[in-house]
Amino acid sequence: MTILSIEGLTRQFKGLRAIQDLSFAVESKSITSIVGPNGAGKSTLFNMISGYLKPTAGHILFEGREITGKAPHLVCGMGIARAFQIAKPFPELSVEKNVLVAATFGRLGPRDRQATTEHAIEVCHLAEWRHQPASALSIGNLRRLELARAIAARPTLLLADEPCAGLNETETREVIDVLSTIRKSGVTVLLVEHDIKVVRRVSDRVIVIEAGRKIADGTASQVFSEQAVIDAYLGTAGA
Amino acid sequence: MDAFNGRIPAGIWGLSAVLLAAAVMLPFMLSPFQIRLAQQILLFGGMAVAWQMLGGFTNYWSFGHTAFFGLGAFAAGLLAQQLDPSLSVAVKLAIGTVFAIGLALVAALAIAIPVLNLRGIYFAIAMLAFAEILAEITKTFDAFHGTSGFPLPALLVPGLTKVQLFYFLFLLLFLTNIAVFVWLRRSRIGMGLTCIGQDEDTAAMLGIPTERYKLVAFVLSAVLTAIGGVLYGYSLGFISTGSVFRIDISLNLILYTMLGGIGTVAGPIIGAALMIVLTQVVLGNLLDLHMMLTGAVLIAMVILAPKGLMGLARKAWDRRRGAAEGRP
Repeated sequence: MTILSIEGLTRQFKGLRAIQDLSFAVESKSITSIVGPNGAGKSTLFNMISGYLKPTAGHILFEGREITGKAPHLVCGMGIARAFQIAKPFPELSVEKNVLVAATFGRLGPRDRQATTEHAIEVCHLAEWRHQPASALSIGNLRRLELARAIAARPTLLLADEPCAGLNETETREVIDVLSTIRKSGVTVLLVEHDIKVVRRVSDRVIVIEAGRKIADGTASQVFSEQAVIDAYLGTAGA
Repeated sequence: MDAFNGRIPAGIWGLSAVLLAAAVMLPFMLSPFQIRLAQQILLFGGMAVAWQMLGGFTNYWSFGHTAFFGLGAFAAGLLAQQLDPSLSVAVKLAIGTVFAIGLALVAALAIAIPVLNLRGIYFAIAMLAFAEILAEITKTFDAFHGTSGFPLPALLVPGLTKVQLFYFLFLLLFLTNIAVFVWLRRSRIGMGLTCIGQDEDTAAMLGIPTERYKLVAFVLSAVLTAIGGVLYGYSLGFISTGSVFRIDISLNLILYTMLGGIGTVAGPIIGAALMIVLTQVVLGNLLDLHMMLTGAVLIAMVILAPKGLMGLARKAWDRRRGAAEGRP
């Protein structure tokens, strides 16, 4: 079953077309990765899905409902949560309170928010730091806090924007475990990630975009053997 | 700042009851000068609490809250002149207060959309400009009598002197402002506003209706400030543009809040009490030094204690608890 449909999505920034006529659909309860070189338009795509940016053209359908241009808090309330590329915690709040906020204002509202907060903290292995202010966390813990907040919002679709960027191997493994747990709980994950090893390991499907256009779509082994993808990442031979 | 639910400790309720009982008895024990000082602490401390319903939570610092203060005073004062002379002053005050609330509500809603889309210094300047525009209107158009000023009817209640009466009215407003602030802080709206103050975009992404919550805080703050203006106008008995549309009122609200501790209930009240006693008692004979002292305190607080006296107290408490628990 399709949970998210992107139809002819375009975003223009003055002279630059960050996303051009992009279309794809995401299957429910899958992990779909969006990959592409820097500047390909991945974060712009996430910004449009989460309501932070309005598309210049095209449609975004979530669970069959039009969400194009809706305000971010409405998008979150419908069941789309986002973990940011650059962690954006509320710095003066403790880890627990950061997660509690998401549990209070997420898809299901404040119902069972305490239990939801506990669950998210446990899944993301943050119990040890629960009373620490978010500003005191290491990068690895901040990434897991991003994921914990996203889980606490009780989404049906999680947008994970480079959750492994800047992490060491151990921390990356921990994040992969968290993503797998999220997926097992029935949440669909749309992942933007630069680390190809991570993408190969967790993805059911990979979509490659370059300069705002889709250039490949399939399983990890399919897309990473396509010449267009190799060219996009490594440059055309002889160029 | 704690905008997250939890019971208010019994000790806080007990302390509040003792303070309230003392506040009720004070005007029968103090000299008229001392009661006037207490009046100012209640009025401006209470208004600083109202100011921080927006500024304390969200970091939207209004430098023009005197706009609503002056609006309240002028609305009630001008209306009193139009009402049937046979009405009692108490009724005129009540009608004037309702009218001022309505007007502040409309004004706040009207400017909310343009100004609340601004952030940081742009919001501060927009509010300052709004206050200046209202002040200029009252001075420019004769109907407002802003330059020459106009009298308000004298409110008298048998058994109480004028200073005692207004002390109790200011106390009532003070308690109202604190009750609204505590309710706001402990509600979902307060939780949302706290998050807006730390990162507005992230707050929206986590499902917080940022625009709606800012509007609620702004309107509440404006309305309570306007009521302060009404009572202040009646307490003066004669108002003009210069007496109510005063930029120093706006700045003092910020100063009291910063000095005491932004985002706390007690902070603005402690800040107001300290500054008012300091400027009016300690430096009572050195009027020229008031503004200089105010500026010096503001600079010192920004550098030495950005979270105010309550912040210092909390730090000392945390250190003491840490030492007791053997933490470094």
